[in-house]
Parts: sequence; structure tokens; C-alpha cells
Amino acid sequence: MSEIVTIALLGQPNSGKSTLFNALTGLRQHVGNWPGKTVEKKDGSFSHNGKIYDIVDLPGSYSLSANSDEEVITRDFIASGRADVVCILADSSQLERSLFMTADYAGITVPSFLVLNMADVAREKGKNIDVNVIEKNLGIPVILFSANDKKGYEPFYKALERAVTDKSIIDASSLEQEYAGINGYNEIKEMVPDGLISGYSPMWIAIKALENDPVVIEKLKTGLDPEKTEKIDSFRKSVQGAVEAGGAKFAWIDSVLSGAVNEKNENITLSKLDRIYTNKTWGKPAVVLTILIGLILSFIPALPLMGVGMGIAALKAPIGEWLISAGCPDILIAIINSVIIQSFAYIFQMLGFVFGVTLVFGLLEEIGIMARVSYVFDNTMGKLGLQGKSVMPFLVSFGCTMGGAAGSRVIENWGQKVLTIALAWAVPCGAAWSVVPMLSTLFFGPGAVLVIVAILLTMILHMWITAKIFGRNLITQENRYGMIMEMPPYHKPKWGALLRYVLGRTKDTFIRVTRVVLVVCTVFWLLSYSFVSGSDPILYKIGMAIEPVTKIFGLNWKLFMAFVASSIGKEGALGVISALFNGGNFYGAFSDAMSGGAVAADLNNTLLTNVTKPEALAFIFAITFNMPCVVALAATYQEIHSVKWTAKIAIYYTLGALVLAAVVYHIGILIW
Amino acid sequence: MKLTELKENNTAVVAGLNGDDRFISRITSIGLTPGSRLRVIKNDKNRPMLVYSRDTMIALNQKECSGIEVTEVGA
Repeated sequence: MSEIVTIALLGQPNSGKSTLFNALTGLRQHVGNWPGKTVEKKDGSFSHNGKIYDIVDLPGSYSLSANSDEEVITRDFIASGRADVVCILADSSQLERSLFMTADYAGITVPSFLVLNMADVAREKGKNIDVNVIEKNLGIPVILFSANDKKGYEPFYKALERAVTDKSIIDASSLEQEYAGINGYNEIKEMVPDGLISGYSPMWIAIKALENDPVVIEKLKTGLDPEKTEKIDSFRKSVQGAVEAGGAKFAWIDSVLSGAVNEKNENITLSKLDRIYTNKTWGKPAVVLTILIGLILSFIPALPLMGVGMGIAALKAPIGEWLISAGCPDILIAIINSVIIQSFAYIFQMLGFVFGVTLVFGLLEEIGIMARVSYVFDNTMGKLGLQGKSVMPFLVSFGCTMGGAAGSRVIENWGQKVLTIALAWAVPCGAAWSVVPMLSTLFFGPGAVLVIVAILLTMILHMWITAKIFGRNLITQENRYGMIMEMPPYHKPKWGALLRYVLGRTKDTFIRVTRVVLVVCTVFWLLSYSFVSGSDPILYKIGMAIEPVTKIFGLNWKLFMAFVASSIGKEGALGVISALFNGGNFYGAFSDAMSGGAVAADLNNTLLTNVTKPEALAFIFAITFNMPCVVALAATYQEIHSVKWTAKIAIYYTLGALVLAAVVYHIGILIW
Repeated sequence: MKLTELKENNTAVVAGLNGDDRFISRITSIGLTPGSRLRVIKNDKNRPMLVYSRDTMIALNQKECSGIEVTEVGA
């Protein structure tokens, strides 16, 4: 027997699984993908009493059916025999419903124990639970637990050790009696060959067959002769198996709980806060206000990191001077300044957003507010094929798209996550808001208001069209289901675990984003640097060569270069214009502009004399709806783990911005 | 009658479920099996319904719960 014990965490969403996982592993965790799947995989390790435990957080799902990738992954992992013990989580405050997973697990022969989480919330609700009764009925260790209570962990470790030594398996005999009442159950079970799926008993397989489980039925078909398969099919057609099996499971849960729960049966009403959130008129404003307050508060922990970023950017000039005085070759100074220092300055500034957003979203999720957000925006976001929660990354993206991408991790379904980020890119970020109003006012005076209204309307249209284009491939019909979800009671967060999780996430983001940003900044630098003094950089040559084409979009080569620069960072766009129109050296223009360098004092005049109104309008739309910035690109990749989709989104936005520019340019020509 | 026809504070028992496998799996796993008792907490247009059943406040999209048949019981 190996020294290391592997635990798998099994539980429905909102059962406090991640809190427990984070509390147990701390920073010793790793986030990746399940092989060949787009479902996130979290594993980690911890030691207790000199023993090392590996822990795998199985993807959250509501049952062990085979309707989603998450469920299939969970089942396959259990069948693989890699878990020595499965820790099943349930929510004590919603005990009856949340024991469904335990009932669905019964019949699986991998040892298990049951953790009734959120005991504190149950207690507050006036509910007394006698775990000894439940333990006797189930035949596996059962504990009452609050993930946010430090004292609770000793019993957890004890239950774990007991489950490992006793190899405790759920006593399913009384559950089977319930199943036996379903027409065809006994007959099908007789036909199930031993060991059809390792780790799963014939009872489990028989009931899944009745539930029309496609994977189990396929297995039975290959393992049995056609005559028997036909018989099973006829039984399946004769009953609403899944409905009856569900009823049987809950009947069993009732019997397991009988005598174990003592509850003051209060009349259930909505709490004051929920009455506001669920209010027809005030619900949406209240949710948006909650999120905004959260975002404002998130700036407090974010500021130090942003300060670091600005500090790094400020190092550029002194380091440059020092390198020159040290006789360092130009090219090396350029690499150090334009690629390395520049990249880290960007990354740290935006990392502040990631830290703040991850913290606030994590907090909202733990407290239970996220579920209310889903509820309030279910209908609106449903039209885009998304969940109500998707509204949060959208709101964050008005500040920073990278924060929006980081915030999309609250969306469990991968396709919906990718689509959410793809749509969040259309939301003009803080950097766009720092450039657009200024340019609009310069060219259109009071008309700037109209430009901004037009931008917001375009944003909505853009999101709608993008949802249509990408949604077809990303959101399968089975995910277009509306909300069927429990509203968890509010509960206190566990700060330590939350902070450790946020730090871990920020660290992960830092590492992955750094790689992408360094690569992109290097490529960009190579294109814009004159390697032979006096010769023109490649980017300049390309810009000149394709000017006849970019003119269609209303962008002359200078504006087009500024557009290209805006894909790296929107703040840089103005600087590039400023330098190019003032006849500055091309490379110097980029280098200075990208570091937020000085915009020439007479930029306004330069622009007004060199750029026409239609061109200005085209440029404003082009940079607003362009790829947000290189760091947002990297953050998108970090969240969706797919080069293909990241590239698709980036190309789509670059082309989309040019198309929009062309449209407004030609409208502009008609007007002026 | 359909679940969606119930009004706030009505109490009912689930009578039947109609829908595809995925819907049935999801709705039974959240506890709404035939025979289970529920109370309507909120039923506003263009918002998910809120019902309380088996210890749990459940939000149900209006379209989704059109497949849930119930029998009203005296409150």
C-alpha cells in the first residue's frame, strides 16, 4: 500500500467544497485542466500526523448522472481507483436536498465519509442534527463541520483516518429496498454482470440504466447479448425511471434522517436583504450597487500592487540613463526598457485588479450573494445564452478587462465562461474611457456626448452579435437551460482560506500572464525597432505598404499604427499619434508612448490640423472596440486554457474594430 | 395544474415531471420529486420562481418549470 492517501472531494456546487479544499491545502494546490477536457482540475496536498494526503477537488455537479463533462469526469475518476477515499460534502442547512449526492453515491464501492458542512448556519436556523443517528444509518463516518471554524478540523481528520482504516462503505441495503419497488429494477440488476464498471455495484448500475444513463446503457449493450439489452430497453420504456429513482432516493434520505434532525419548524420567509434583491423593481439596481461597492472596495487591496507597477515603470528613465553611462549597447537598453521593464510595469498594474476582483468575487460567492446575482439577471443573460452571474465580469470590464476575465472564473461551465470573456472584451475599459471622451470632445465639442452614447449602443449590439456568432459553438443546447438552482443561506466567509486562495490565484495569473506578455511585447518590439540605424522598422514598412487598404477604414498609416499600438495598451495610442504627427522617430514614438510617455503639449492642434472628423470618429471606434490590451489577452488565455479560442477572440476583435471603423468613417463622410 | 400557475404563498405537492433526461435529472436532484411538498415564495413575471422545498430555497426559471405539474393543497 502506498504511503500517500488520495482523497477525492465530492459535492454539489455551493456545498463549501472549495472552501474546504483551500483550507486543507493552503498554497499547496495546483490548478489545471482534466486531460482532454475543458473542465478545471484542482489538486493539492497536505500532511497530518506525519501522513501525506493528496486531495483532488472533483468538479462540482448536482448528481452522478452522465449529462455533463463534470459528471462524467467525476465518475471516471472514481472508477479509475485513484481515490483511496471519497469525502462527500453536504450542506447541513439544506440537509435533505443536499444528501442527494450521498444517495447517488450509495452503491459505489470506494470508501467514503460524509461531511455535513455549514453546521453554523444550520444551528442559526434552529436546526439540531444528531450525526450519530445518521452515521449508524449510513455505515460511514459522519461529522458536523463548519469550514470557517478552526476547531472543526480535528474531527475532520479523525473521520478521514477512520474512513481510510475501516474502508467504510455506505450501507445501501435499505436504499435497495426502495429501488426494488421500481418496475424492472430487480430484473435488470439480475442481468448486470459483475465488475461491469470497476468500483460500481450492480445496484448502482441497474438504477442508472433505469435513469436512462447513456454511458451505463452503452456499457450494458457491449457487455450483454442483444436479447437482454432489448429486455432492459423495454423496462426502461415502461417507467419514468429517473423520476421514480429520484423519489426512491429521497425516500431513503428521509429514512436516514428520521430521528436525527430536530428543527424548530419556522415559517420560511425571505430575509430582509433577499426581499430587496428579489424585488421586481429594486432587485437589479440593488445587485448592481452591491457589485459596484464591492469593486470600489477591491481597489483598497489592489492599490499597493498598482503602485508597484507604476514604480517599475518609473524605473525606466533612471535605468536607461545608468545603462547609457555604463556604455551599454543601444539594443540591450532597448530590450531591457521596452520589453522587460515595460512588461512588468503593465503586469503589476493590472495584477492589482486581478487581486482585488478575485478577492471580492470570492467573498460574494462565499457569502451567498453570487446566487442572488444569478437569480436577478437570469432572464437578461439567458438571452445571450449565459448565466445570470455573467453580468459581474461585464461590470468589472468597465474598469479593467483583465479583471473581467479573472472574474469569469465564478462561471463553472467552460463554454459560458469563454463566451462571457468574449463579450466582456466589447465593454470599453478604463483605459478606453481615459482616451475616448478626450478625443471626442476635441473633435466634436458637445457632440462628444452623442459619440459616447453611440459607443454604448454599439457595445450592446456588438455583444449581441458576438453572442450569436460564438454562442453557436460554445453553448450547447444542454447548457441553454434556464436556472434551476438553490439559493444558499447567507454565511460568514472564512477569511484565512479565502486570502490564501486569492494569493494563490494571483500568483498563478502572474506566472502565466508574464509568459504571454513577454512574448507579445518582444514580437512587437522586434517589429518596431530599427536594427540598422537609418533604416525603417518592419512595422513602418508594413504600415506604409497597406495604407491604401487602411484608408478604407478611415485610418491613414499614422492612425493605423496608433490602432496597432492600442492592442498592446490603449493608453499608448495617444502617445503614438503625438509622436508620429510631430515627425518623431518611429521607434522612439512607440517606446515612449507605450511607457505612458509625455503627450506633446500641442497634441490638440496637431490632431485638429492633421485629422478629419470622419477619420477621428473611425479612430475612436477602432481603438474602443479593438482587443483591450496584451494583458487582457494573457488573462483570457489564463482563464480559458485554450490557445485556439484566445486567438479566435483576438482576431475577431481586431477585424471587428476595423469593420466598425469603416462603417462609422463612411457615415462620417456623409455627415461632414 | 402547472407549477407556474401557483401564486405566492400557495402550497402544493409535485404531481408529475415532464421533460428530457437532463431536465429530469436536474429537477429530481434538487429535490422536486413527485409527492414532495413545496411552497411558492415568489412568482414574478420575467424572474425565476422561488419555491421552498426540502429545506431549500430553490430558484426556477419560468420556462424550465413549465414541465412541473402540481396539485395545490390547502395552505
